[in-house]
Amino acid sequence: MAATRTRDLRGHVAAIVPTAFVVVAFLLPLVGLLLLSLRPTDEMNNVLPGFTGAQYAEVFGTSYLWGSVVESLWLAVRVSLTCLVLAFPLAWYLARSTSAVGKSLVFVITLSPLLTSEVVRSFGWRVVMSGEGPVNVTLQALGLIDESLPLLRSPWTVFLAVVHVLLPFAVLALSASLGAIDNRLLQASADLGAGALRTFRSVVLPLATPGIVAATVIVFSLSMGVYVTPLLVGGANQSLAGLRIQTEAMVAFDQPRAAALSFVLLAVTLAVCGLVGLLGRLAERGRRA
Amino acid sequence: MPDRPVLRVTGAGRARARRALTLVPVVLVCAFLLLPLLVVALSSFNAANNFRFPPEGLSLRWYAEVFGSAQWLDSLGYSLRVALLVVPVVVVLGTLGGYAVGAGNFPGRRALGLLFLSPMAVPGVMVGLALLYQLQRTGLVGSAQGLWLAHLVVTFPFCVRVVAVSAAALDPALPRAARSLGASPLRTFLTVTVPLMRPGIVAGAFLGAVISLGEVAVSVLVAGAGEATVPVRIYSAVQVQLEPTVAAVSTLLLLVSVATIAVLDRTIHVSRFL
Repeated sequence: MAATRTRDLRGHVAAIVPTAFVVVAFLLPLVGLLLLSLRPTDEMNNVLPGFTGAQYAEVFGTSYLWGSVVESLWLAVRVSLTCLVLAFPLAWYLARSTSAVGKSLVFVITLSPLLTSEVVRSFGWRVVMSGEGPVNVTLQALGLIDESLPLLRSPWTVFLAVVHVLLPFAVLALSASLGAIDNRLLQASADLGAGALRTFRSVVLPLATPGIVAATVIVFSLSMGVYVTPLLVGGANQSLAGLRIQTEAMVAFDQPRAAALSFVLLAVTLAVCGLVGLLGRLAERGRRA
Repeated sequence: MPDRPVLRVTGAGRARARRALTLVPVVLVCAFLLLPLLVVALSSFNAANNFRFPPEGLSLRWYAEVFGSAQWLDSLGYSLRVALLVVPVVVVLGTLGGYAVGAGNFPGRRALGLLFLSPMAVPGVMVGLALLYQLQRTGLVGSAQGLWLAHLVVTFPFCVRVVAVSAAALDPALPRAARSLGASPLRTFLTVTVPLMRPGIVAGAFLGAVISLGEVAVSVLVAGAGEATVPVRIYSAVQVQLEPTVAAVSTLLLLVSVATIAVLDRTIHVSRFL
């Protein structure tokens, strides 16, 4: 494959400028943030020269700081699993449907939240869940409740809104690998007498493993740091790491502590993603053996 | 490979019933995806002051209020200015990067691809914090330049990704033919390779524009007390109370996204690119 690639302007020349951009505009600021997280501060949160692990000690020693990482982890696990389940039918339809119109429609619907600003979507959920919003009005009309439910501040609404934000990523990642499954395998499975469920479990699921891993990694890592949606939908009184980082930096003006917390969050995120990748590879190898 | 109905079973009737059954979850999940967006659009035409559902009467009063408000107009102008400055630059960066990753032939190409996509994997709040710290040292917090840089970082991976898919599908024989006819590498790149990658580049430009216009997670941190883009102003407004003007502005943003998706769907099969 590599030998057939174009050798004209071999790519490495083209890579110089974007590489320089990513290094200067993204990597160096991250390194700066890492250094900041290692700086001592005085009582006024002014940054002092020198190096210390005090910020990290504080993150691990303060329950509302490390607790926020645990809370984010718990949210991310639930969101990832829910997104996988909800994404599957859409991804299957996108990858397998024969209806061009239907596919196009589902695709536009899948993309629309992705390309809509997070604030617009959050605002939408605020309206949906508000006291006189469609959910409460419908429940009241059905006679299921008398008083409107305080849905807005509930953690369930936050969870739903985050699932909504990240579902398109899961659909796109999954549909790529579902589309690559050879129809003849499904045919063969059906011909050999396997029911739809059996075919799903023994043929589709194993072959979709790379897509499942990719979808999980993307959704998980994005939901670990989410803060705009929870803040706008559920208010500031939640202990999620993304929110905590934002508050420490923008309200408490303790940037070194915010930096340390964000690196703890990143480390946990990368560790879980690595674990998911490893499990995916083990599952594939186990099947081949 | 041509798409064919799968899980085909004996008997056309059963197959049709089964296919109809598999559509149920598809429709339900689509409804879930659309619900808050439709509600935003609906409530923006509400004649009443609150968000009573269904809306009590239709009116464009909230749109009139938005276009009569200096604050919202300032924000709209600022958002458009930033997006107009972001798109050309990110398209050039993304085209070069996407070409290198998608069609390049050099050691470390895969690692470079990961590097280019990495801003997408780091939480927005962390990217924002890192940029905020750097901007503070250069006194650019709250400046358009700072926001411009932040938006470049956020949009770049998306742009690289769509161009890379286009670049990977390039027929290497065409640039080779141009070279053998005596065109210089640069000329070959500009007159043969870039036009061939045009679908990806167009998609990248639209994605860059729509992401820049909607960006909030990073913008909130670097915006400081300076001018606010539309999403940043919505972000502040929604925390206080639900104003119907926000619904109108949100619907305008929503229209931009819908138009973008329509363009992406028309010009290219965008599903290949994401």
